[in-house]
Amino acid sequence: MSYGNQFTAHTQLRLSPFFERTSKLNESQEWRRWGGYLSATKYDLVHDNEYFAIRTKAALLDITPLQKYILEGPEAQHCLDRLVTRNIGICKVGQVMYTPWCDEAGKQIDDGTVQRLGDQKFRITSAEPNLEWILQNASGMDVNVVDDSETTAALALQGPNSRAILNTIDSDSLDSLKFFWMMEARLNDIPVAISRTGYTGDLGYEIWMDPKDALAVWDLLMEKGKPYGITPTGLHALDMVRIEAGLILLDVDYVSARHAIIESRKSSPYELGLGWTVKMKKKDFIGKKALELEQARGPEWEFVGIEIEWNELEDHFRKVGLPPGLPSLAWRISTPIYKNNEQVGYATSGTWSPILKRYIALAHVKSEYAGLGTQLDFELKVEHFRKLTPIKVVESPFFNPERKRSCPL
Amino acid sequence: MSAIKSYDAIVIGGGHNGLTTAAYLARAGKKVLVLERRYVLGGAAVTEEVFPGFKFSVCSYVVSLLKPTIIRELMLPKFGLELLPLESTFTPLDHDYLLRTSDHDQTRREIYRHSPKDAEAYDRFGPLMGQIGMAVRPILETIAPNVIRPSLSDLSATKRLFDHFKALNDEQFEYLTKLMTMSSADFLDEWFEFEPLKATMSASGIIGTFMGPRSPGSAYIMLHHYVGDIDGAFRAWGFQRGGTGAVSMAIARSAKHFGAEIITEAPVEKVIVENGRAVGVALVNGDEYKAEKVISGLDPKLSFLKMVDESDLPSDFVTDIKNFRIRGSSGKVNLALDRLPNFTSLPGDGPHLRGAISISPSYDHLEKAYDDAKYGNFSQEPYIDIILPSVLDPEMAPPGKHIMSCFVQYAPYDIKGGWDDQKREAFGDAVVNTIARFAPNIKDIILHRQVLTPADLESTFGLTEGNIFHGELTLQQLFVMRPAVKWANYKTPITNYYQCGSGTHPGGGITGSPGEMAAKKILRDW
Amino acid sequence: MEHYDIIVVGGGVNSLITAAVLGQSGKKVLLVEAQEQVGGLASTTEFAAGYKCNLVNDVVKWVDPRVMKILDLGSYGLELTSPDIVRIALDINGQHILFHRNADQTATSISTHSKQDAKAWKGFTEYINNLTKFLEKLYELTPPKLPDIGLKEALSLRSMLSPVIKQGTRGLVNFMRVAPMMMPELMDEWFESELLRGALSTAGIHHITQGPFSAATGLNLLHQHVYAKGVFHNVHLVKGGTGNLAGALRKSAQSSGVKIRTNAKVKSIDVANYICSGVTLTKGESLATEKVVSGLDPRNTFINLIGAVKLNPRFHTQIRNLKFRGSAARVHFALNSLPEINGVAKHNMGTVFSVAPSISYLEKAYDASKYGQISENPYVEFTLPSVINPGFAPYGKHVLSATVQYAPYHLRGQSWTKGLKDQLKNNVVRVLENYIPNFSTLIEAAVVLSPVDLEEKLGLTEGNLNHGEMTLDQFFFMRPTMSSAQYKSPIENLYLCGPGTHPGGGLHGTNGFNAAHEILKRQRR
Ligand SMILES: Cc1cc2nc3c(=O)[nH]c(=O)nc-3n(C[C@H](O)[C@H](O)[C@H](O)COP(=O)(O)OP(=O)(O)OC[C@H]3O[C@@H](n4cnc5c(N)ncnc54)[C@H](O)[C@@H]3O)c2cc1C
Repeated sequence: MSYGNQFTAHTQLRLSPFFERTSKLNESQEWRRWGGYLSATKYDLVHDNEYFAIRTKAALLDITPLQKYILEGPEAQHCLDRLVTRNIGICKVGQVMYTPWCDEAGKQIDDGTVQRLGDQKFRITSAEPNLEWILQNASGMDVNVVDDSETTAALALQGPNSRAILNTIDSDSLDSLKFFWMMEARLNDIPVAISRTGYTGDLGYEIWMDPKDALAVWDLLMEKGKPYGITPTGLHALDMVRIEAGLILLDVDYVSARHAIIESRKSSPYELGLGWTVKMKKKDFIGKKALELEQARGPEWEFVGIEIEWNELEDHFRKVGLPPGLPSLAWRISTPIYKNNEQVGYATSGTWSPILKRYIALAHVKSEYAGLGTQLDFELKVEHFRKLTPIKVVESPFFNPERKRSCPL
Repeated sequence: MSAIKSYDAIVIGGGHNGLTTAAYLARAGKKVLVLERRYVLGGAAVTEEVFPGFKFSVCSYVVSLLKPTIIRELMLPKFGLELLPLESTFTPLDHDYLLRTSDHDQTRREIYRHSPKDAEAYDRFGPLMGQIGMAVRPILETIAPNVIRPSLSDLSATKRLFDHFKALNDEQFEYLTKLMTMSSADFLDEWFEFEPLKATMSASGIIGTFMGPRSPGSAYIMLHHYVGDIDGAFRAWGFQRGGTGAVSMAIARSAKHFGAEIITEAPVEKVIVENGRAVGVALVNGDEYKAEKVISGLDPKLSFLKMVDESDLPSDFVTDIKNFRIRGSSGKVNLALDRLPNFTSLPGDGPHLRGAISISPSYDHLEKAYDDAKYGNFSQEPYIDIILPSVLDPEMAPPGKHIMSCFVQYAPYDIKGGWDDQKREAFGDAVVNTIARFAPNIKDIILHRQVLTPADLESTFGLTEGNIFHGELTLQQLFVMRPAVKWANYKTPITNYYQCGSGTHPGGGITGSPGEMAAKKILRDW
Repeated sequence: MEHYDIIVVGGGVNSLITAAVLGQSGKKVLLVEAQEQVGGLASTTEFAAGYKCNLVNDVVKWVDPRVMKILDLGSYGLELTSPDIVRIALDINGQHILFHRNADQTATSISTHSKQDAKAWKGFTEYINNLTKFLEKLYELTPPKLPDIGLKEALSLRSMLSPVIKQGTRGLVNFMRVAPMMMPELMDEWFESELLRGALSTAGIHHITQGPFSAATGLNLLHQHVYAKGVFHNVHLVKGGTGNLAGALRKSAQSSGVKIRTNAKVKSIDVANYICSGVTLTKGESLATEKVVSGLDPRNTFINLIGAVKLNPRFHTQIRNLKFRGSAARVHFALNSLPEINGVAKHNMGTVFSVAPSISYLEKAYDASKYGQISENPYVEFTLPSVINPGFAPYGKHVLSATVQYAPYHLRGQSWTKGLKDQLKNNVVRVLENYIPNFSTLIEAAVVLSPVDLEEKLGLTEGNLNHGEMTLDQFFFMRPTMSSAQYKSPIENLYLCGPGTHPGGGLHGTNGFNAAHEILKRQRR
């Protein structure tokens, strides 16, 4: 390119071990903070390419800023079982479980994945730091808790071609690795762990490694992935696909019960569409009692997918002489939802889905309005004026391809 | 003797509270006169050019507690109020440091370096204190009821407070109760493990107080300092351009704008009391002024044991005022510097010089400093809260030069053998030596040094025993008991004689609150 | 196996009272005690061949009158005597201050130090007496659950009005003023004599972790004077030793059908899903029951016997944050003869002696503990139990028992070794020799009980004699935590009755009595 402007800069923020590469590839030099790290929002000057890479080719994302903790010891499983809502007892070695965890009032603190690395060894990931909470609740148990956030670097390789790329490098084939399972692997003799997980709702993998191997792994993937269209991808594209996949984001779609300073900001898993993760058969876990009560009386709020009806949206804009105004990025501004002019909910994030050609959002609505197909109104700004436009509660995930879970056989 | 002039109200003392009262009364259309003993206004919130070219906020040095309502109602920005934020808190240690800035990620990373657990706790602690600060605000903003003979409005105010506290959730209520009763060290120990962090945070619990961080009651002082508010940002301390005296001057200009008269170098000798009613004041120079109401902005000891005769007061009230605790424990050292200090643990210029620098490496450091004072000595290695105003506002010093403001705990008023020049200098040396432990170049760059002991604070600024808050902020001297039960509502046993200084509810600091609430009470009674 | 309605864990004074009151109401009660005998802090034991001592408390400050009455302790052998001289504050020059039951006599003794103080004395004792009236009423109450206090709870507090009506709001204000005070503040308002100020301040620091310069030592001073009827430093002596208080309680409990098992150490309080179902003994035996009442301190009860894992995180945090930090040690000396105390007549020796020449002396003793050291010159309070009860020592020989502050549980750079205990003992001997010149030559044997020993022997967390510090943040509706201050724990069917609950430590039994009533009240609902 003809404008290869060079510059060096200085930052007080953390840099991931991939920064050496990502900083050079980031043509837009647009960064966002993620967990105190400098994290690319997009590499290209526009993010479209990255979005389509996730859905049609392969995208490579630096997910090192995730918080990671290792729990190890005879009571590691017991400790996790007390902590999270899902049943860790049935999680086999090599399996991964997505789970939220709650405070004693059954309000969600964070969500993440639990990887069973061994009989007595687990890794748990989370959006925000949770060390204090884990340590507090591990007290009196025979378990050792270590902050693994800086000792493990991680990449996400997501998209329909991701498996093919890994298969060209990995000594073992990934063909039989099932959704939410993981395996140890060697990429050109570099030991890594590969889990079939991700935040895109597509076929994809997450690769966990020693930070000292980070650059080698990056280079290898970029090289071998080239024929498959591998594209370094930033947070803008990720935000769009995670909404399409109906995946919630802490601090956007909900507030951690540990940080919500008022009651009304807290949500239970039931209110976040995660009722399926609450395993009441489990002996005891933090928040169980409160959640039992909530389950019995039914949650006050529910978390749903909504779709903004196209025709009316188009009408609104046509009236002022404009084509339909669609967001070019995923948005995160809480937006009111009404029924008969009374506010009954609010959407917390939304996006135009270029693949689906639908304007979709994730929303908290009062339970009585959460039924599929319920018609509601959404606040829309048309040329500086607020309008109401119809929306419908629809099934989420909005995008859920067969390949996400399937294995070639 | 000149003809006796007559006013609606006379305010004794041109401290920032007296000025605030005067401004509010004038704003309500009253004819007001302020009489200040010194040649400058501001009392303990004053800026003076102590050495040629070097201007100092001689006493108070940072502003956070100034009530936003007052800023708006008295239109202070129009009259020169300009608060610049302090960027950081820097705790130098012998081989390391702790630097907290206003950036969340930066601070978290820095604390994480010392303790991962603390980094998380810190994120929850700030908002919690914010909540508790909000929870106590209604008390701070309520005119303390007379609990002995409550009026109807006292009862409704009490009911409102009661309802307010009932509405707090368990957690808030628990922490509030703890903050009212615990030591700051014990309170912080429940949250954090990294000692320099705890010690530095606990230090706001000992400022102006004859207590150590391990003394029960110090947690409240910490909270008192947390209720600060600049632009709604919590615990955001600020520096006033031109020094804290400029805050007082802004209030004075506002008062004048509303029509108040202000006379400096006019020390009041006595309040004239006739038949149990205040009718005016007599100056030291013999001048007399008449007024419908007389309001004292002095501390309770001066207001009641000096300005009026004991015989004009009920004896149990006199006992209460005599028992009112007002021990001074702080000193101030103002340095004119040739250049910036250089800290061994974090050399050179940087954000750490643009905020507060806290010499508080450990609880023990603070406790030992307190131990010295308990037994009648100044601290050999004191706690020092330092700022470099000239870094934020270059006009405070000649070009290229700097000033350093050092607030020091502890310097007891009742020092063994009494304060004299020699002890003052020894105290100044102790402060400089303590700073030199962390910034060795300090000794070479001092051009001038001003040392203020509690005795100096008393003689120069009229602060009895040198107490910076006009009376200790202990549990039994708060709210309905400040300065004495039954008379915590700005009234006094003498009809038409009122009080508005820091010795009244809600206490000391550059808050303007006592002044504002007193004015509102006076206007209500009028 | 026999089934019990209620199992009381621990055999201290409060547990015995709870058991006895519940027994009286017709419940089938079992009390289990780890030691050979009941009594806990009120035990009397042999510490050297032929020498007995009261393990912790030589005197009783006050006993809840409701307990005396309802359990009819008199007829079970409890004899309390009230000495005329309740305390002697030792003076280095032999000008001791004798605290008499009669205020005028005390004033006379004070006048050798300060005429002015002597004049103020009576007023002071009346002032304090008035303030204690508020505590007396407060102590009879089950604390309300704040902040969500309803009309019913508010009404239950109405008994607090009676002292207010008697003394006016001014009285209440005085109480609110003095409770949070530190000793020098209170003393400055009344007295000038160093010795007197020191001697009085000892009431503020009795058995607590803080020094006299700590806020709210005022509250502890008042706490020591509940039901003292204006007698400052009031004490009662138990005939035959403090253990007889426990003995009488045991008999009273047994007569109401309470079954008492000693040598029965509880290994766990059995809890599942926040419901308590019984206890398991170390010997393996599990006892199911409807209700368990724990007389142990909250940390022991919830962390050691139940387990952090079974608690809600918030409650766990609250319990973990409780402050114990025991800071008092006991030293028992076996003496070959009656010591001669300078300037004290033989017939006046059946009382409590204090070594507290000034407030700063006490504060300096405390300073050491802040830095994890034992006091070089400790505050020493001692009695000669063998003078009070001749059976305590072989004929002609004597026992001197001292309570020593400060001896912190949490030491820095050292631990409670024999060497340190010897050092502590030597410090005490050195301090006492100022008043008993040949003291060291009288000693035949000595036993030191450090806070660690107290923890091991009596199961007191961190050796705290009050089952939790007696500070304002652990007072009334905050004792032990805001969520468990009603004697009922957050765990269903589990109650608390020890000094870790309102109104705190001492041999008064109020905690046990209140707890029993709360249990019965809940049953009736
Ligand atoms: C060294 C020091 C540092 C401090 N640091 C801070 C800080 O950083 N931040 C903060 O918020 N607070 C601080 N404070 C506290 C704060 O400055 C005071 O609480 C506040 O300024 C008191 O204001 P006031 O109007 O109530 O009383 P004062 O300021 O004391 O005003 C009383 C006025 O009355 C005048 N006067 C006295 N006698 C007479 C008489 N007979 N006739 C006429 N006038 C008389 C005095 O000269 C004075 O001007 C500090 C105080 C000191 C001393």
